[in-house]
Amino acid sequence: MTRYIIRRLVSVIPTIIGVTFVIFMFQRLIPGDPAVAMLGEHATEENVERIREQFGLNRPAFLDRAALEEGDIKGFFDSQYFRYLSRLIKLDLGTSIHRRIPVAETLAIRFPATIELALASLLIAILVGIPVGIASAARRNSTLDSASMIGSLIGVSMPIFWLGIMLIMIFAVYLKWLPSGGRISANIAIEYQTHFILIDTLLAGDFPAFWDGLQHLILPAIALATIPMAIIARMTRSSMLDVLQEDYIRTAHAKGVMERYVLFKHALKNAFLPVITIIGLQAGILLAGAVLTETIFSWPGIGKWIYDAIIGRDYPIVQGGTLLIALLFIFINLIIDISYAFLDPRIHYD
Amino acid sequence: MAEITPNELGITTVFAVREHRSLWKDAWRRLQSNRTARLGLAIVLIFVLSAVLAHYFWEYDPKTDLDYSLKLKPPNLFTNEEVQSIHPFGTDKLGRDIFRRVVHGGWNSLRVGLVAVGISLLFGGLLGLLAGFYESMMVTPGERILLLGLIGLLLGLLSAWIAAQPIQAVLFGLLGAAAAYFDTFLSGRVWRVVFFGALGGVIGGGLGSLVNPATGYVCGALGLIIGSLLALPLGGKFFSDTVMRAMDVLLSFPSYLLAIAIVAFLGPGLEKGMIAIGVVGIPVYARLVRSAVLSVVQKEYILAAQSIGESHGRILFRGIFPNILSPVIVQSTMGLAGAILSAAALGFLGLGAIPPEPEWGAMLGDSYRFLASGAWWAVVFPGLAIMLCVLGFNLLGDGLRDALDPKLRI
Repeated sequence: MTRYIIRRLVSVIPTIIGVTFVIFMFQRLIPGDPAVAMLGEHATEENVERIREQFGLNRPAFLDRAALEEGDIKGFFDSQYFRYLSRLIKLDLGTSIHRRIPVAETLAIRFPATIELALASLLIAILVGIPVGIASAARRNSTLDSASMIGSLIGVSMPIFWLGIMLIMIFAVYLKWLPSGGRISANIAIEYQTHFILIDTLLAGDFPAFWDGLQHLILPAIALATIPMAIIARMTRSSMLDVLQEDYIRTAHAKGVMERYVLFKHALKNAFLPVITIIGLQAGILLAGAVLTETIFSWPGIGKWIYDAIIGRDYPIVQGGTLLIALLFIFINLIIDISYAFLDPRIHYD
Repeated sequence: MAEITPNELGITTVFAVREHRSLWKDAWRRLQSNRTARLGLAIVLIFVLSAVLAHYFWEYDPKTDLDYSLKLKPPNLFTNEEVQSIHPFGTDKLGRDIFRRVVHGGWNSLRVGLVAVGISLLFGGLLGLLAGFYESMMVTPGERILLLGLIGLLLGLLSAWIAAQPIQAVLFGLLGAAAAYFDTFLSGRVWRVVFFGALGGVIGGGLGSLVNPATGYVCGALGLIIGSLLALPLGGKFFSDTVMRAMDVLLSFPSYLLAIAIVAFLGPGLEKGMIAIGVVGIPVYARLVRSAVLSVVQKEYILAAQSIGESHGRILFRGIFPNILSPVIVQSTMGLAGAILSAAALGFLGLGAIPPEPEWGAMLGDSYRFLASGAWWAVVFPGLAIMLCVLGFNLLGDGLRDALDPKLRI
C-alpha cells in the first residue's frame, strides 16, 4: 500500500513538468507581442525594448544557443522557460500585464469564488443525483426510472450556457425572484477574510448578507450542476443495478431483511466506489464549465478571468490561473486513486 | 390437442432453420427493438437530412442576408400586415430568419462534430492502439531496434540543435539501434549503462567540443544521459507509459480552457474550432482504445495467433482491431454529441464560427443581449437545436452501447 502510494505520488512529477511545459508553450504560441500588448499600439520602439528586457521577453524560449557559442554555460540555461520555472519554485506567478497586480494576489480572491460555485454545484449534483439513481435502480423499468433516465440524458445534452441564459430569463428577468449575476449585491459591504462569501458573512454574523450571497449563488450553481447531476444519477443507478444482482442481495431478501435495509445497508455500500470515482471526475467538468457559467452570470471567478486574459493576451494570468486549475485537477485525481486503496480492501496494488 | 408431426407442418429435413446473422446484424436488431435508441436515431436523421438538404437545395448566403425592417420580429406562422413573410422561429437583430439559420447551422455543427471526432479518433485511437498493444506484447527485435533508434534520434536532435551539428542526431539514432541490436551485451549489469553512457558522452562531447569547450561540456552531459537511457531494457511498457503520461498532461487541463487556448493560438474560425476540439479529445480516445486493447489482448484467440507466429501487424489489425470497434463506435457517437456541444460553446464565446456564418452557439451569443428587450425566440430556438441534436446523438450512443455489448451498462 505504502509502495503504491509512493509510486503514484512520483508518477505525478512528470505530469506536472509536462503541464508547466504546455502552459509555457501557450504563451509562446499565442500570436502577438506581450510587450506591445502591455504598452499599446503606439509605444515607442525603445519603450517596447525596455519592457521586453524587464520581463525577460528578449530571452530565448528554452535554451540560449548564442550564449553557449560564447562559452557561457550559465547563460545557456538563462531562458524564459527556466526563468519561469525558477519563479514558480519561489511561488512567484508574476504580475498581470494590464492591471500591474501580482497574479497570486488576484488568484487568492478569484479562486475562492470558483471553488464556492463548484462546491455548491457538486453538492446539488450529489444531493439530487444519488437519491434519483438509487430510486431508479430500486424501481427498475418503472415510470420513475424511465423519466429520470431520460431526464438525465437531457441533462447531459444540455448546453449549460443556454441553460444559464434560460434560468436568468425565467427567474431573474420575468419572475424577478433571484439576481441575474454577480456574487453579492453592490450595496452590501463585506469584510473579506477567506473570500468565500458564504463563510465570510457567517463569520461576521451578517445574515442578510449571507442570504444575499446565497441568492446570487443559486442560479449559477444549478446551471453548473446539471451535467454532473445527470452523470452521477446514471452512474449510481447502473452501479446499484450491478450490485443488486449479486447473490448476497438475494440471500438478504430470502432471509426476509427489510427492503429499505437491503437497499441502503447491503447494496449502497458496495455500489459506492464507482460513484465516488465519477464524483471525483466531475472536478474537470465543473472547472471547464466554470468558464461558461462565470461568463453568463458575471461571476468573478477564475474561469472568466482566464478567458478574458487569453483574449487580452495577459500571459501571466493565463499561465498562473491555468497552472492552478491543472494542479488542482491532478491533485484530485491523485486523491481518488489513493482513496481507492483505502475504500476497497479487495484491491491489492503491490 | 392432437399431436402434430413435423411432416404435417411441412418441415422435412432441416429443423433448426436460422439464417446466419453477423454480430452487426444482431446489434442492428437489438438497436431497432430499443425505443429510446429509435428516438435517438430519428432525431439524428432529422438533423442530418435537414442539414444536408438545406445545404444543397436551399441556397443561403449569410453575407447578404439582412433586412432591418424585420428586426427582432416574434415567431409567426401566418403573414400579417406588419410582417409579410413567414418566420416560424422569428427573426434576429439583423432581421434574418432564425429558422433558416438554425437549419443551415446544423450543417456547420455536424461538420464540426465529424471532423473533430475524426481528428481525436485518428490520433487518439492510433496512440491508444499501439500503447495498449505494446504494453502487453513482447516487442520483436526489429521493433526494438526501431523504437530505440527513434528515441536516440529524437533526443539526439536536441543535442544536434545545441551544437548545430545534424550528424549528432544520426549518430545517437545509430547508438540506439546498436543498443537494441546488442541487447544481450552485458545485459542486466550496471556496466551496460556505463558503457553506452560513455559512448553517448563521447559522441556528444567529442563533436560538441569541436564548436567550443562549453558546447562540449553541455553536449557531453546530454550524450551521457541519452546513452544511459538507451542502455536500459526499454520496451513496449516504456512506449506506453510515455504516451499515456503525455495524455495525462493533456487531460489535466479543463477541456474548454484547452480548446480556447488552442483557438487563441490558431485564430477564430470554424475550421480552427474543429482542430481545437479534436485535439482536446485525443486523450479520451487514447485511454479508451488502450483499455479496450488491454482487455482483448488477453483473449485466447490472440494467444493462439501469437503461437502460430502471426506477425504483430496482422494480430493488431486482424485480431484486435475488429474486436475493439464496439466501444469505439459508442464513444464516437457520444463524442459527436460532445464535440457539437463544445463547438457551440466556442461559438457562444465568439471563438468559433465567424459571423455572419450561421452556427448555433454563435447565434446564441449574438442574441442573448436582446433578451432584456423580450426577444426570447432568438435565444430559445438555437439553444433547443443544440440540445435536441446533442440529445439525439446521446440517445443513439446509449442504444448502440446496449446493442453492441449487452453486458456493458453505464
